[in-house]
Amino acid sequence: MKRLPAVLGLIVLAGLLIAPFALKPHGIYLLSMWAVMSIAAIGLNLTLGYAGQISLAQAAFVGIGAYCTAILTTKFGWSFPATFVLGAVLCFVVGWLLGYPALRVQHHYLAFVTLAFTTLVYLVLRNEEKITGGTYGISGIKRPVLLGWATQGARDYYFLCLLVLAVVAFATWWLVRSPWGRAFMALRENPLRASSLGVDTRRYTLMAFAIGSALGGVAGSLYAPLVEFIDPSPFALGLSLNLLLMVIVGGSGYFWGPFLGAIVSVLLPEWLRVADGLYLIIYSVAVMVLMVFCPSGLLGLAERIFKRPKAANAAKVAT
Amino acid sequence: MSAVLEVRGLSKAFGGINAVEDVSFEVNEGEILGIIGPNGSGKSTLFNCILGQLLPSAGSVHVDGRAVTGMRPCDLNRLGVSRTFQLLQVFPQMSVRENLILAGQEHQGAMWSRLFGRRDAGLSEAAQRMIDFFRLAHVAEEKAGGLSYGQQKLLDAAMAFMAGPRLVLLDEPAGGVNLTMLADLRERLRAINAEQKATFVVIEHNMEFVMALCTRILVLAEGRIIAAGSPDEVRRDPKVIEAYLGH
Repeated sequence: MKRLPAVLGLIVLAGLLIAPFALKPHGIYLLSMWAVMSIAAIGLNLTLGYAGQISLAQAAFVGIGAYCTAILTTKFGWSFPATFVLGAVLCFVVGWLLGYPALRVQHHYLAFVTLAFTTLVYLVLRNEEKITGGTYGISGIKRPVLLGWATQGARDYYFLCLLVLAVVAFATWWLVRSPWGRAFMALRENPLRASSLGVDTRRYTLMAFAIGSALGGVAGSLYAPLVEFIDPSPFALGLSLNLLLMVIVGGSGYFWGPFLGAIVSVLLPEWLRVADGLYLIIYSVAVMVLMVFCPSGLLGLAERIFKRPKAANAAKVAT
Repeated sequence: MSAVLEVRGLSKAFGGINAVEDVSFEVNEGEILGIIGPNGSGKSTLFNCILGQLLPSAGSVHVDGRAVTGMRPCDLNRLGVSRTFQLLQVFPQMSVRENLILAGQEHQGAMWSRLFGRRDAGLSEAAQRMIDFFRLAHVAEEKAGGLSYGQQKLLDAAMAFMAGPRLVLLDEPAGGVNLTMLADLRERLRAINAEQKATFVVIEHNMEFVMALCTRILVLAEGRIIAAGSPDEVRRDPKVIEAYLGH
């Protein structure tokens, strides 16, 4: 029983490595999008799920990352890795600054502050035509050649996305298991008590925002060459809500939550396309049912199912 | 003996109401000082001013001779000033062990070192000692939110002692704890006072508990100190009797 997660993980990993050889380009594209959205959702899960700071600004950071890569590679001839790093650093800094309101306001007020930020970034992307191309967007974003590895093909670019996802996942796994992860959770559960135990709540709150936002930037940086053409519309509030949905549906505060949430948000709608015009209705009903019966998300549901027999056995022994 | 905590002329006003007025006292090393007083006498406000949760309107607070007035709670804690809360304040989704490790981890090195250092911040043994000391071994891996009220009170106290503090402020440690647990808690507190050479300040409503635990008692009424002395002296003081029984 204890080996089950490891075996399951290996099967999924093997599936992810084999899948692009069996799928058509559109399928590979969707898997790449899943990887990219997973990265953005992992970032939001860190800010929201672990540190408890609600944010509706993740789409803005994906946008900043995407435009950073798009503008610098197409107009200034920068290499992809340089824009990738710059996008992440830029989002880290902006995320840090956006964290300051979180020191003063919480919960739905913080949601409003971050929502306003998303709108602000969207308007800048749309209106600053000279830099961002406005509603015409930026086209011809090339997929990079890295150390002689050309990622132009759908399959190669998918592997790049998967590689970055793996690195991000490992770093996040390390972070949430470190004392930092514990401090983040303390921030979520009881900031007053945390500060009386020496936890510098100010610095950890800002850090939670900054790291989560930087991952949004990483996702954006991968997103731009994936779709090869960007305009401001994907980075509006809709994406922020979608990312929030991924985190909550997957299981907020669970490490694997964003991966599952991204499946629900990116792949499920595609699978439901067979239902034709009904697919959006089926999709939204499914999400609503899940939220009503299991607010802790898919992983919360799984935990309830797998932990219940144990509790029942313990009760039997006790009686 | 040197004063671990020194409060001088501390006042706190909310609008026109003086919740605490010109309070001065010292607490010496190893002492267990009790602060009692009727409801609304300013005990909690006094605590919050000492602990940096409220900024005093006037006066100063010194810990080991160092001015700490208005210092942030987290910085104060890292100087060795710890506290427990009147209402339950644990981290419900974290296990008892995790609660304790968290209570100690911020005292080790710089923030960055904790990101790359050991997962338990080298505190597993210390946490285990606390678990054994407060007799929480049978629930050590349980989520703190699932513990009984009394057990959570013990955990709350254990967390306050995790980093080996110099000064601990206990806000109604006996509140809502049943009689068996109460004796247990008192005896644990006395033992840790002797063992860690920690200094305590205790706010408490339970007279029996406070008289048995404390070496010296201050009585607060309407924001002022009206009496001070050993438990026996305070018990006999007519001003104290009047403050409690009314006019």
